Amino acid sequence: MSGPAGRSPARSTRRAGGGGRPAHTVVFACLDADTLGGVQRVTHTVAQGLAERGHDVHVIGLHRAARPFRYVERPAYHRHVVHRTPAGPLSRLGRRRERRRLAALLDRLGPGFAVLSSPSVVTRIRALIPRHLLAIGQYHGSYRHARGSWHLRAVSGHYGRLEKAVFVSEDDAWSFSEHARLPNTWSIPNPLPSWPSRTSDLTARRVLGIGRLEGVKRFDRLISAFALACGAGEPPGRAGGRARGDPPGSGPPGDGAGGWELHLIGEGAEEERLRAHARACGVADRVVFRGAVPAAEMAREYLGGSVLGLSSEHEGLPLVVAEAASYGVPAVAFDVSGGVRSLVSDRETGLLVPPADVDAFAAALAELMSPADGGDAAERRRRLGAAARVRAEAFRPERVLDRWEELFEHVIR
Amino acid sequence: MGIAQTVINVPDCSVVVITYNDARRLPRAVRSVLGQSLRNVEAVVVDDASTDDTERVARALAEQDPRVRYVRRERNSGGCGAPRNAGVAAARAPYVMFLDSDDRLTRHACKSLLEEIERTGADFVTGQISRYYEGSRRSRRYYPELFARRRTVEGIAAEPGMFLDSFATNKLYRIDLLRRVPFREDLHFEDHVFSAELYCAARRFAVVPWTVYLWHRARARAAPTSISLRYAELDNARQRIRAARLSDEALRRHGHDQLLPERHHRFLRQDLRVYLNTLPARDPVWIAEFTTLARPYLAEIDPAVLDRLDPVARVCCSLILQGRARELAVAARSLNGPQAPPRTAVRRDGRTYWGTVPSPEMDITALRMAELPFTASRLRHEAALAVRGTRLALAVRTYDPFGVLAAHPGWTAALRLGPHRVRLTPREQPDGSLLSEAALDLAALRPGGRLGFDGHCEPKVVVTRPDGRSTSDVLLVDPAAEPVRLAVPGHRVTVRAEGAAGVLRVAWRRQGVLRRASRLAELKARAVRRLSGPRLKLRVYKGLIKVLPPRPDLALFESDVGAGYTGNPRYVHEELRRRGAPIRAVWSVARNRRNFPPGVPLVRRMSWRYVWTMARAGYWVDSHGLPLDYPKPPRTRYLQTWHGQGIKSIGFNSPDLRADFPGPRARWRAAVARWDALVAPSAEFERIFVPSNEYTGPVLRYGSPRCDVLVHGDPAAAERVRDRLELPPDRRVLLYAPTYRDQAKFSGASVRADLEEMAGALAGEWVVVLRPHPVERYRVPAHLRYFVRNAASYPEINDLMLASDALLTDYSSVMCDYAVTGKPMLFLIDDWDEYRRVERGVYHDLPAIAPGPCLATTGELICALRDLDAVSASFAAKYAAFRELWCADEKGEASARVVEDFFGLAPPAGRPRPAVPARPPVRAAVLGWLR
Repeated sequence: MSGPAGRSPARSTRRAGGGGRPAHTVVFACLDADTLGGVQRVTHTVAQGLAERGHDVHVIGLHRAARPFRYVERPAYHRHVVHRTPAGPLSRLGRRRERRRLAALLDRLGPGFAVLSSPSVVTRIRALIPRHLLAIGQYHGSYRHARGSWHLRAVSGHYGRLEKAVFVSEDDAWSFSEHARLPNTWSIPNPLPSWPSRTSDLTARRVLGIGRLEGVKRFDRLISAFALACGAGEPPGRAGGRARGDPPGSGPPGDGAGGWELHLIGEGAEEERLRAHARACGVADRVVFRGAVPAAEMAREYLGGSVLGLSSEHEGLPLVVAEAASYGVPAVAFDVSGGVRSLVSDRETGLLVPPADVDAFAAALAELMSPADGGDAAERRRRLGAAARVRAEAFRPERVLDRWEELFEHVIR
Repeated sequence: MGIAQTVINVPDCSVVVITYNDARRLPRAVRSVLGQSLRNVEAVVVDDASTDDTERVARALAEQDPRVRYVRRERNSGGCGAPRNAGVAAARAPYVMFLDSDDRLTRHACKSLLEEIERTGADFVTGQISRYYEGSRRSRRYYPELFARRRTVEGIAAEPGMFLDSFATNKLYRIDLLRRVPFREDLHFEDHVFSAELYCAARRFAVVPWTVYLWHRARARAAPTSISLRYAELDNARQRIRAARLSDEALRRHGHDQLLPERHHRFLRQDLRVYLNTLPARDPVWIAEFTTLARPYLAEIDPAVLDRLDPVARVCCSLILQGRARELAVAARSLNGPQAPPRTAVRRDGRTYWGTVPSPEMDITALRMAELPFTASRLRHEAALAVRGTRLALAVRTYDPFGVLAAHPGWTAALRLGPHRVRLTPREQPDGSLLSEAALDLAALRPGGRLGFDGHCEPKVVVTRPDGRSTSDVLLVDPAAEPVRLAVPGHRVTVRAEGAAGVLRVAWRRQGVLRRASRLAELKARAVRRLSGPRLKLRVYKGLIKVLPPRPDLALFESDVGAGYTGNPRYVHEELRRRGAPIRAVWSVARNRRNFPPGVPLVRRMSWRYVWTMARAGYWVDSHGLPLDYPKPPRTRYLQTWHGQGIKSIGFNSPDLRADFPGPRARWRAAVARWDALVAPSAEFERIFVPSNEYTGPVLRYGSPRCDVLVHGDPAAAERVRDRLELPPDRRVLLYAPTYRDQAKFSGASVRADLEEMAGALAGEWVVVLRPHPVERYRVPAHLRYFVRNAASYPEINDLMLASDALLTDYSSVMCDYAVTGKPMLFLIDDWDEYRRVERGVYHDLPAIAPGPCLATTGELICALRDLDAVSASFAAKYAAFRELWCADEKGEASARVVEDFFGLAPPAGRPRPAVPARPPVRAAVLGWLR
């Protein structure tokens, strides 16, 4: 065949379901597809959704996970692992093996798309993708996170040569297009795993902090802010905290925060330090370390929460905020990325404060716990929570899958 | 629609590819259209009546892909306007782009611009154009500042600077706009008139920052010399000026008279510059004709627009206006390359003028060439060259417009070519210039030694004054001269005039046996590189430390990852030497670093010998971190002296270790576990640093070894600095030492003071010694070198502190050392909120504790410096508190105490051994981390 049809990668077949959109082969490639992590969860959710819509979906892990995790009970897609070893540097022989196995696997697939899930995957196998699969690169972090690491160079150096570079929010896509001069940006949010029918009644006096107890999540800042909001006094080590320009009177609101607790859900290396920090802040009895909670039981946690605190140093698109919003729980968050902004519009669907400004974070928490101005905190929570749930609709799986199919259409325009 | 159906119904975008006698490159251009990520495109190839193979090639392309259409014009139009109009008439898509057959579109050009025009509703979208150099296969963005922001512009009046983007090619247009604004078919540079009309007609356009168009530049060819070409070029200039006039008319017609100055500015910066750049290569008749040609149009331009140009370009315009064609050739030569000084200049009332008469339109004061220190001073060397056999004969005419030579009697001059020098004996000429002759036998030079040399070098005239300091400048030769090629043993040598200014350059290329031998040497080097990769070195090292015991009489010293002989390790080393300790110290040195004193044994960092020394040394002493992945041999003792204290977040709280991957944290934890003792300059350092790095070993708190000299003073230091940096004796010295920004290392972003503004206000009283952070790169602009000395490579910062009268910094740890001196400090912290919250993180509220004024603008800084005594007096109490916090332990005996403690040496008679040698660290209960 000659001409454009000869170059066309996706010999599309109409789907049996008659959905109107053509079915494609879609390959997702991760460094390790079965390790427990955010990127992997998103990949498997999308893969399952697309497979259920009739696409021929394959998830490739370049390496085997050290402790494999099963995301989808009955996968409707195919799974492949290239190396039996966990992720790490490859020998010359290993690289050759990778080339051979990927070629054998990809060459037998029909035309479609290859979604490469991170800069390390893009730099490693971009050149190995055969022509009948159109390569799409994903980046799950924020522009800010990329700028502080080797990712920015990798993204700006390689993603522009792919069919599309997909980011988690429009703001991030814009930043990459402007500062990394990428001509092919696109954005697709991460999908929620499910959409709840019930919402929290927002009456429990409970602030939620959800995530691995690791440094990057900065739960120390959440504890400090929570302590300030409770009026437990200045936490220690605040020497550099306040600076010129901070609003006066953003301190603790005094009493009235009685009975509020901060529940930290997750486990990790920082737990001891965080416990000590809570003691030092005088809120040891109000900060509850809940450890890891299985995904199936998270619904109960969201239903029992009233406010979510997001204190991370970096976030791409924090799904916990979307999940909380889907249960009608509003969030207080540091404005660290376009992903956060896509979920939390200040005073509309939550409260947004400048990155690392603990005082402002505390003031925002206090507003939703027991406001100094005597307003009705519960009413505020309900208003923000309801709006947050509406906003979170955009993250419902079917919406996100529509967006993926839109992307495929766009690539072959 | 599936992609199988991209066989065209209506294309989304038509790309009009115009071609004339370019059968060779046309397929490349068309392929760049067919390879677009927007599949639904059409390529309309418009052939302007080519007489070569173009028609056959184009028809073949159309045969192969139905998206290609071929339009042939009957008669050649001699321009681009007619074929582009024909292409627009034939285009079927609602959007159109233009492409010349010798250029290419980037892969996403059509789709990305299409999306942008659909999103913004603009009339056209313009994107970055890049020059693509076929020789080096590199591309360079053209006027990147115009495209830096992705934006929508509501009409040209909102951003008249966009006149600088007047290409027809880097844009996607709505086709109805093109039908309203056709190209003129009766002139060259129709795109200039077109873009003026276009900007007037478009109510909105969008700008995108990514490259959409690659403007191919073929390998450099010889300058045009034939008569017909010369006249063609003159006619070309005439056409360009005509296009400029027509563009002006278009602006007036659309009622945009107020934008004329911006259009004229564009003409001066782009159009006129094309001819000025190549002017030095022209003959006098051509230059005279060109001057006559350009003069009337320049006379129409408002002098205020001329004043916006850089000084030399302004001088060129003045010379055209005055019809001084001969001088114009001299001035135009200074526009490019080394930007040579004038032949003559006059100074009057502190201002400098080009030529012999001080008139305002010849003012070049802004270049500040007349006020440079001797080693940076500028001379103009114009040379005539002759090659006989392998001998290169040069007659060098030297002009000294600023009287540098007269000010330094006893100077000598030499011609330097790589390592070779030939003495020059200049003779004064009646016109005030100096004439000297030199002859070089290129066959006698053996660059690169036995293996020969591939590369080039530019001969320079070096003027040395009696105290040994020297200054050098390149030689200018006739830029129109043909390169001379000659053979010398083992090489082919080319002598040529490089660039528009005609800098003399000699290039060598190995031939014959040497060429083959060099390939062998490369193979060998590649094999060696493969065999000594970092992984292998680490493996060998780990094996070595299992079997080799460390030697107690060998110590490895390293400061700032091998950058120099400085910091705490230096003073610990000197104390050991003073004591005559039986320990041989070997210093680690990074590649390309010098400034180590003679007699200090060196080992290149990460070399095999370095690996061996790490394995053998009984002591490691360093200030940052020896290679992080290298475990310490069990019996080696590691003294971590660290390199500063201050407000910045550190260790696990620093941005490097805060990112969302755990690897770097684990690595740093293992590296810290190697430390056997930590030098702590103060209690505050200990309170912050120790828990932030989760360090649990002994702490030596006697102050900083490197601060001893600041306590005792060093009278010779000021002299050393003033001499080496050539600081004028009547100026006060401001040491400017900003710290780096974590997100922008090596970018120069940390130099936030407006040095230009400072120079304007302070140059009479102050001189700035700029000391950027070692992970920062900053080049002082040439016109500021009279006021700012770059001390980045000065070997010892202590000298700079001792020699200065005040310190300007932002968040650098240097403030804590400088406090020892008691001299005034100023803080320029315009980005404090960003820095403390996001960029870095801090432990202290700097405005609250700062021992000097915290300033947000250069204006405030200038005011504070003008009133420095009163300002610093008002900070006396805060200064004392700051010293108490950070410098209370600085007693001037830190080196001695640290050495006694760590190396177990006895104290000299008269001072008792410290009562508590190594204390367990004070653990703050919980630091509360940084905020």
